[in-house]
This record gives sequence, structure tokens and C-alpha cells, in this order.
Amino acid sequence: MSATQQRPNLQRPSPQRKNQNSQGASEAKVAGTQVLGAWYRNHQMVAVESLAKLLAAPASSLMTWLVIAIALTLPGALFMAVDNLQQLSGHFETSGRMTVFLEQGIDEEQANAMQQQLSVLHSVSNADYVSAEEALEEFKAYSGLADALTYLDENPLPAVILVEPPLGLSKQELEGLVEKIQSFQQVDSVQVDMAWVERLLALLALGQRLVLVVGALLALAIVLVVGNTIRLAIAARTDEIRVVKLVGGTNAYVRRPFLYTGLWYGFVGGVLAWLMLALCWLLLQGPVADIAGLYGADFRLQPLPFGPAFWLIISASLLGLMGSWWSVQRHLTQIEP
Amino acid sequence: MVRFDRVSKRYSSAGTSGSDALSGVSFELDYGEMAFLTGHSGAGKSTLLKLMMRMETPTRGEVIIDGRNLSRMREGQVPHHRRKVGVVFQNHQLLFDRTVFDNVALPLLIAGASPRETGRRVRAALDKVGLLGKEKLNPIQLSGGEQQRVGIARAVVNKPPILLADEPTGNLDPELSAEIMNLFCQFQQVGVTVLIATHDIDLVECMGNRRLILQQGQMIAGNQASDELSARGLV
Repeated sequence: MSATQQRPNLQRPSPQRKNQNSQGASEAKVAGTQVLGAWYRNHQMVAVESLAKLLAAPASSLMTWLVIAIALTLPGALFMAVDNLQQLSGHFETSGRMTVFLEQGIDEEQANAMQQQLSVLHSVSNADYVSAEEALEEFKAYSGLADALTYLDENPLPAVILVEPPLGLSKQELEGLVEKIQSFQQVDSVQVDMAWVERLLALLALGQRLVLVVGALLALAIVLVVGNTIRLAIAARTDEIRVVKLVGGTNAYVRRPFLYTGLWYGFVGGVLAWLMLALCWLLLQGPVADIAGLYGADFRLQPLPFGPAFWLIISASLLGLMGSWWSVQRHLTQIEP
Repeated sequence: MVRFDRVSKRYSSAGTSGSDALSGVSFELDYGEMAFLTGHSGAGKSTLLKLMMRMETPTRGEVIIDGRNLSRMREGQVPHHRRKVGVVFQNHQLLFDRTVFDNVALPLLIAGASPRETGRRVRAALDKVGLLGKEKLNPIQLSGGEQQRVGIARAVVNKPPILLADEPTGNLDPELSAEIMNLFCQFQQVGVTVLIATHDIDLVECMGNRRLILQQGQMIAGNQASDELSARGLV
């Protein structure tokens, strides 16, 4: 019999006696470090192995990954759209620019006097006079209806004064200003460019709510997809689980590879979703810039910012983990040796 | 090391009251003792082993192993208990998706041994059962006797103080059976408590160890060490 085989005989009584001598405490500390090391080593190994297992069956793993990625891309794209619109609306949000239409037949001099009057008002930061002729030139240049306009005998456009209130004016102050301007005799009507901004903001709020609702539904879908995939993985490894439990594997030990598998499903799915969103951005930014150009706006479609992209991947990983946890809790306890 | 105190186990199926797989079984095994557990099929041998591994809990009575009462053991303690009990199964319970080495290494992996320690111990265990050269093979490429020996290597690689075997020579020829039994004797000699369930009476006879005999769930012989002779007379 070799030395190694005789060792059990020599070592067995030692665990009981070990703590009786003075070295007990330090040995316990060493043992603690070893346990922690073993625990860390096991996590590291399981993390790598579960990813390797997924990559060993690339076709089926890719299916799950794509399902997760698409489920995340939908709310992600919606978020991106809302985010961009929000930035677009940001330019108008605070300004309550108003167009003051002057009565027909008011001459240059009267109009200039009016402009002077308006510009010294307390809650007006700027007032620009646009004569009827200037308005017509502008309209010709931008509307593309220049030819049609030549058939008109007279200028149909009224002279206007563009009034810009200072930033951060409250709604009540704005209304007060409108009333005041309207009380001038030379003023025909006042149009505040607020209504459409309000509508846009309402639509954006709806969009944000939509992102939440669609996101929640698809998050649930991800949990279910991962849960089901893990259920199949558990079924395929029933024998292994049984043997591991027979030779003293704890529930945590048995659970670990499946939880890591779920985490990997979520994480890679999240990264793929981010890539898909980046691809969407690449494909759309050109056409969007063209459209914006046609409207004379200098607007560029923004990609998904780093922060939300980070959270997209983190939440995808957590959803994968949740799905596998849910499945493991349901199915693993049923497998007993 | 092992103490059964008036242990009964009743499997109750829905509707029926069920019958006792074990009733009032009491016996003790000393540290480093080797004994055989015999009896006809259905006499309760497997149930007794399952109780020792805490795969089942007794309906009545107490199973005490290494000073711990298995009935009062919390669920979380069960894995740690099982690490102290090496088990050799009749159907090997090997995993065919990995090598012989990885099969034997499983208990060490679970216990968190370092890779170096694992390699050293697995090779020592495989050397012990004479399979050192086959560590890289898949168990499916091995013969029945070799698979059984892989199972034994896995059962002892963690140096458990107790070794259980359920029909370890079930489908082996007499020569191989004797070899396997010889292995168990060697483990007993290094201080392991060994309990082997078998119906291979001839082999048990020539080994001359203590015999625990179960008949319809009752231990009819061997519950006292001094019963050894009377147990022989009953065969």
C-alpha cells in the first residue's frame, strides 16, 4: 500500500483535535481564506464554463440571444425616438414666441412705432418687425410657391412683429402679455406658438409611458423565454444534478451553473440589442438628416447615449438572471436523488 | 460511527397505508468496521442505505451517524453529511458526458479543493483501483468492472469516513467481484467504516466479516457484533 493511500488513516482523527491546540484560531482563519478562495474559484470556473457551453451550441444559443435582443430593441428604439424628440422640443419648450399680426393698411412708419412700443414692454426681450414685402419674399424663398405667387395682384400677407418674451416666462405672465398686445389698436391678432409645443410635450409624455409599458411587457417576455430555456437545460442535465446531489453538492452549487447561464443569455442579448440599436441609428441618421434639411432644421439623430445603453445591458443581464432563478426555483428542488 | 435505533420506514402511497420497508431495525457499526448487509430483494437493504445517506428520513426511530442525528439535520446540512459518506452504486451513477478523471474529481470539485490537490487525489484514487492509465477515457468506453471501479474511486476520493456500497458486484463475474471486495477490505484497513449491501452470499461467506441480515424489513441477525456466528447458522 502506497503512502497516499495510508493517509486517510493518519488524517482522519485530526479534524476533532485540530481546534484543541493553540494554533486552532489561525488555522481556522487559513481555512476561511481557503473556503473563500474555493468559492471564488468555483464562481469563476462556472461563469467561464457556462459561457463555453452556450458557445458550444451556437445555433440554439443564438436563437435565444436574438429573441432577447429583439425584445429589447423594440423598447430601446422607442426610447431613442422619444429621447431625440425631446431634444428637438427642448429648443422650443421655454420660448413662447408670438407672432403679432398688424391691421391691413398700416404703413411703415406706424409699424415701426408699434415695434418701438412693443420692444420697451416689460416682458418683451426682443421685437422684430417684418414688413409685408419681406414676409412675401421669405414665403417665396421657402415655400416653393414663388411661381404661383406671381399671379397674385397684391400681397396677401400682413406685416408682422415677431415678439420674443424672455426665457422662463410663466404661462400666466405670457397670457397677460398677449392680452396687453391685443389691446393695441394697430394689432389685428396675436398668435402664440405654444399650442403645438404643448401638444408635442403631451405626445412625448405618451411616448415615455409607451416605452415603460412596452418595456415591461417585453421584460416579462425575456424572463419567460430565459426561464423556459433554463427549464430545458435542467431537464437535459437531470442525471448530472442527481449525481452531484448524491456526492454532497449543495443547492447553491447545483443552482450556480444555471444562474450563470441565465446571466449570460441576458448579457449577450443586451449587447446584441445595443448593437442592433446602433445599426438602426446608422441606417436612419442619413434619411433623418435629409428630412431635417428639407425643413431647414439642423437636426441630427442622436445614438442611444452611453448611460441608457449601459442600463440596457445591465437590466438585460438581470432579467436573464431572474428568468433562470425563477426556473431553477421551480424545477431544481424536484430533482432529488 | 453508525447507530440505528428502532428505525422504521413506511412508504405510504396515496390511498393505501403502505407497508413497512423497515420495522424496528437497531444496530451499530464501530469506527473502521466492515460489515455486509444481506437479504432477499425487497428486504429493505436499499432503504437502509438511503436512510444512511439521508435520501430518506425514518418514519420512526433514529439514525445517528458520526454523532449526528439525521432526522434532526437541517436540509442545508445534508450535502455536508453526504460528503462524509462515500457511496458505490450498483448502476455506477457515472456521468457519460465527461472523462473518468472528471467523474472521480466531482466530489472534490464540490468540496472546493484546489486544482493541484484535485489532480493529486484523483490520480491516487484511480491508482488505487488500477485505472490510472484510463483517466482521459469516457466511462462509456470501459467495461462493467472498470466502470464499477471508477465509481469506487469517486466514492473514496474525498476520503470519507464511511463507505457504503449497494450491490457493488451486482453484475460482475466472481473473479472481478473478489477483486472489488478486496478493494473494500483495503479501505477498511485504513480506518474507513464500510457497509456493503449484497446478495452474493458465497462471497460474503468467504470474507468472514460481520453480517447484518434483513428479512421483510426486520433485522433478523447481526444486530449485535456477537451475533456473527448465529448469523452464519441461519444461512
